Amino acid sequence: MRLRVVRFLAPGWVLLPVLFFFLSINGRAIPAFSRQYQTSCATCHVDFPKLNDFGKAFKDAGFKFPKDDETYLKVPPVLLGAPAQKDVWPKAIWPGEIPGLPPIGLRYNTFFQVTSGNRNQFNGLAAPGTVPQFIPATDFESGFFSIFTAGNFGSDVAFWVDDDISVSGDNGAGSLGDGYLKFVNIGRVLHLPKDSLTLRVGQFELDLPFTQARTYNLSPYDIYQESNIGAVNALAGQQNVANQFTFAGAAKGIELSGGHHYGGYSYSLAIIDQNTSGVSQSSNTSPFVPSATGGANGGVGFASDASAKAIYGRLAYRFNLERDKESRNAVQAAGATGPRDHTYLNIGTFYLGGRSRQAFVGATADAAQVLLTAREPYYRAGGDFSFNYRKLNIYGLYMVGHDKNLLPADANGVPIMLPVSATGPVPVSFVTSTAAKFNGGFVQADFLALPWIMLIARWDGVNSSSDRINGFTLANGTPYFAPLRSTRNRYTPGAQFLIHPNIKFSFEYQFRPEQYTTVLTTASGLQMAVNPFRVNTALFGLEFVY
Amino acid sequence: MKNTALLFLLAGCISAQAGTLTGKVSGGRGAAVVYVDAIPGKTFPAPAKHLVMDQKSLLFQPHVVVIQTGATLDFLNSDNVAHNIFWPSISGDKKASHNMGTWPKGETRSFKFDTPGVVPLLCNVHPEMSGYVVVVPTPYYAEVDASGAYKIDNVPDGAYTVTAWREGMKAQSKSVTLSGTAATDFAMSK
Repeated sequence: MRLRVVRFLAPGWVLLPVLFFFLSINGRAIPAFSRQYQTSCATCHVDFPKLNDFGKAFKDAGFKFPKDDETYLKVPPVLLGAPAQKDVWPKAIWPGEIPGLPPIGLRYNTFFQVTSGNRNQFNGLAAPGTVPQFIPATDFESGFFSIFTAGNFGSDVAFWVDDDISVSGDNGAGSLGDGYLKFVNIGRVLHLPKDSLTLRVGQFELDLPFTQARTYNLSPYDIYQESNIGAVNALAGQQNVANQFTFAGAAKGIELSGGHHYGGYSYSLAIIDQNTSGVSQSSNTSPFVPSATGGANGGVGFASDASAKAIYGRLAYRFNLERDKESRNAVQAAGATGPRDHTYLNIGTFYLGGRSRQAFVGATADAAQVLLTAREPYYRAGGDFSFNYRKLNIYGLYMVGHDKNLLPADANGVPIMLPVSATGPVPVSFVTSTAAKFNGGFVQADFLALPWIMLIARWDGVNSSSDRINGFTLANGTPYFAPLRSTRNRYTPGAQFLIHPNIKFSFEYQFRPEQYTTVLTTASGLQMAVNPFRVNTALFGLEFVY
Repeated sequence: MKNTALLFLLAGCISAQAGTLTGKVSGGRGAAVVYVDAIPGKTFPAPAKHLVMDQKSLLFQPHVVVIQTGATLDFLNSDNVAHNIFWPSISGDKKASHNMGTWPKGETRSFKFDTPGVVPLLCNVHPEMSGYVVVVPTPYYAEVDASGAYKIDNVPDGAYTVTAWREGMKAQSKSVTLSGTAATDFAMSK
């Protein structure tokens, strides 16, 4: 195995000097906020885009310095009305401001991947007479080119928009990431404690314990990618569950939040669109019912596939562990050789609940055609922790997913085989059957060996019995299924190097467990997978922001 | 009246023995300092008055401070954010590196500079922050003005080594013999 690892790594190391040469010609770090404040990325980031404590405070404050923001702005904002206009309100527009420079940042990344030698053993799964897909041993890959803009319009109104202009080298594959307005500290109107109530409206990543949208890891957290698709194999007990929701996707709605992510409590409560079928807003249109804007302002189609909204809530508390009270309560701790992130333990919990809509053309008891709709309650719940001591940060998350399973049934209450056939029995009701569940999470350790070198080790695990069952029959659709109870798990060591504060070289090696390539059907009719093997991947990434 | 006359007489004697060193510094941009290097056999008492280097708006202010060997510099933090000050070397001597630690807004930490040389100031949480302390061995120094000119008054007649320093450029030294006045220009290079 050791030899195999070395063999995978070798092409990348040969490549490194060349890539360093081409990308080292970039200049200083000038991301979106750096221009306004003329400060380095390192003011807010440890190994961008991972935030340090100051960066968390900056974000909490609505993309402003927590105190006396105006004294740090090197580019004065443009006033959209004299401050004294406030005295005239409501007979004048409340004055605001815009950043003196457009706070625009751009980000690009590119990859080189090496896939292990047994990568084409899936070829045996191709249907007879078809040409199996070929997986290359080495591959240069385009990542994304994205634009992001963020800042503050005065009166503590913050904004953020990011969009992937190009993904995988395909200009048409990009999409909006987050796009929202954030009304920071609106609790002051209600005389609530400072920073206890903030309102966010638009499209945004939920207040996840650890961000996926702005992750610094090369590969995503597997549990965040998990959608809950019920078992389709009738022999293993079918499930009428097809919930496409994942935490990796952006949500649309409103969110109330409060507290600080650099110490003490923080919470969020979001009401978001429900779209468990995965249909995109632009294609979810009706020839009869127009959406409100009629497309005049871009609002084509409907983003939800159900009337009910889903609710997401998170509550966390961070214990800063410095003995000195003043240091403990400050944005950053006072270290002997300079300010640093706190030593802390953060614990939190989160919950998302909604109802997944499944509809069938069915019939009433007297055989009249009717649309039968099942609204299957589902939830995602979990807990998380993060411990930081000097240069070491260990964090993890565990969560469970649960979708109620309502199977369509005939007039006798007998479940109907899915998919419902036009010539088969007509559904007239639903019966409750075995719920579709999954669980899993990840644990990651980051060690900042030097200010520009971060060593990373992560373990991901996702267990889903329905994925395993589906994998037996849909092996091509679920390539990474594994032994019983373990749909996917992997160990991913890696390292990241900042060439400049805005240019990063990253590496990770993804060890995966045994998987199966051949499906056999037992005498009892149950399908089983045999011939275990594993696909490991070495991934090199280069990215820059400016 | 007698005392006043004595003072005038003394002042006249001093001005008769002291001259003025002038010149221009070209090449490069930014703050520059010209000073008379150590004079063998002569020592100069350090001024008791402390100078101040502020950290304000994520900047070292002033960007360059010139102090005499043995003088004390007060480092003030005027920002609401935490700062740190350290220097990795003094004129390239890494053994002279020092970390001042961290302290909150409004507080000051002092340091007595006993080693002449150029001290590059850094902040380990704001890598873009840059400042300099130029520790000079004599009280005969001047900062270069915007036109590149400098003028050092009250330098006793004699033969000296005069050094010019500018940020990002190599320090340059020249021998100067002063008798009343002398002019020396420096063309700085990297």
